[in-house]
Amino acid sequence: MKTLSVLLLSALLACTKDNVTPTAPVSDVFDPTKATLLKQGTLMGIGHTASGQVSIYDDKGTKVILLDPYSSQSGPDLKVYLSKDINASEYINVGKLKSITGKQSYMVPGNPDISQYNYVHIWCEQFTVVFGRAEVK
Amino acid sequence: MKKVIIGFLASVSALASNSQQVSNTDDYAEAAIGIGSYQGNLSLSYLHQWKLGARHKLGVGMGGRFTSYFGQNQYYTTAPAKLTSGSTGPLVIFKEDVVANIDTLLVQSPQVNALNAFINIDYTLSQKFTIGFNIDAIGFSFGGSKQANYINGSAGKITEGSPTGFNILLVSDNDRGSLNSELYVRYSLNEKWGLKAGGQFLFTEYTTTTKVQTFPEENDRFRNKSLLFCLGISYKLNPHQP
Repeated sequence: MKTLSVLLLSALLACTKDNVTPTAPVSDVFDPTKATLLKQGTLMGIGHTASGQVSIYDDKGTKVILLDPYSSQSGPDLKVYLSKDINASEYINVGKLKSITGKQSYMVPGNPDISQYNYVHIWCEQFTVVFGRAEVK
Repeated sequence: MKKVIIGFLASVSALASNSQQVSNTDDYAEAAIGIGSYQGNLSLSYLHQWKLGARHKLGVGMGGRFTSYFGQNQYYTTAPAKLTSGSTGPLVIFKEDVVANIDTLLVQSPQVNALNAFINIDYTLSQKFTIGFNIDAIGFSFGGSKQANYINGSAGKITEGSPTGFNILLVSDNDRGSLNSELYVRYSLNEKWGLKAGGQFLFTEYTTTTKVQTFPEENDRFRNKSLLFCLGISYKLNPHQP
């Protein structure tokens, strides 16, 4: 019985995953005055605490998402998604959220037509949960 | 006449008794749980077993197994062998995965129920210990539709998927659907009851509502391969002396 208990405990302990977004503030060097603003919106928390300003820029042909200011609660495996619709039925993952606070920029891969993308999400990929969302216009 | 009847009854009784003693079949009802990281399953099975060899140490059997799998945020990958291995022949088991063709489906709360016929082989090591292996061969699966995140590099789609309906054991990634297998040791507590422990290798499969994968060709089937620690209890339905 003791052996069984040890095995069950081991199996339960194996269930912990550590992939939490850093909490130390960041301040990326992206200079928005040298880029062209394409879209902008306000980030709102969805069942979680999240707030800030979301802007999408064209920086010499490269599309960049800027979160500045930005603040949210921490969570596991948080990603920044750019999507066409509110449900993110088609999205581009622009990267892991660098921190839960501070100015942060993300290059959009594939140079998509930004006019077709209307939402930026802070998305917990591991648990398929949206933390925050901004409609960008 | 009375002596004949008594003699006949005695013979039948002796034959029945002898038949019981040298019976070469066993029937088991079993229940087991599989435990893994953020996942697990409960399985219930019935096994009919033929004991082979002069000392009846080798057992070969077949039966039916119901497996109910549940998990949280499990990663499924492209299932068809044509994509994962580039071919569908029997030698696919020796082929390396074609990584460029394999995409991911993250299923938020997978729950798959599978009812399959399975085959079993075991060997009696001693009066108390038996080692064995079994694997599902054919059957069907059912379960609700679940939210899923199709991930292809930096692009993705939020979609839904349901368990693939038809299950069949073929070769390697040619398999289809949800199939359970166990490598186990059974310890006999007494003539009827036994405990099982071992490893469980479980395939579960989801089919998305649309063909979310488009490269190198369209695909809607995604498979999760789980290695689980297995514990179970077995009950011999026809106990007898070996």
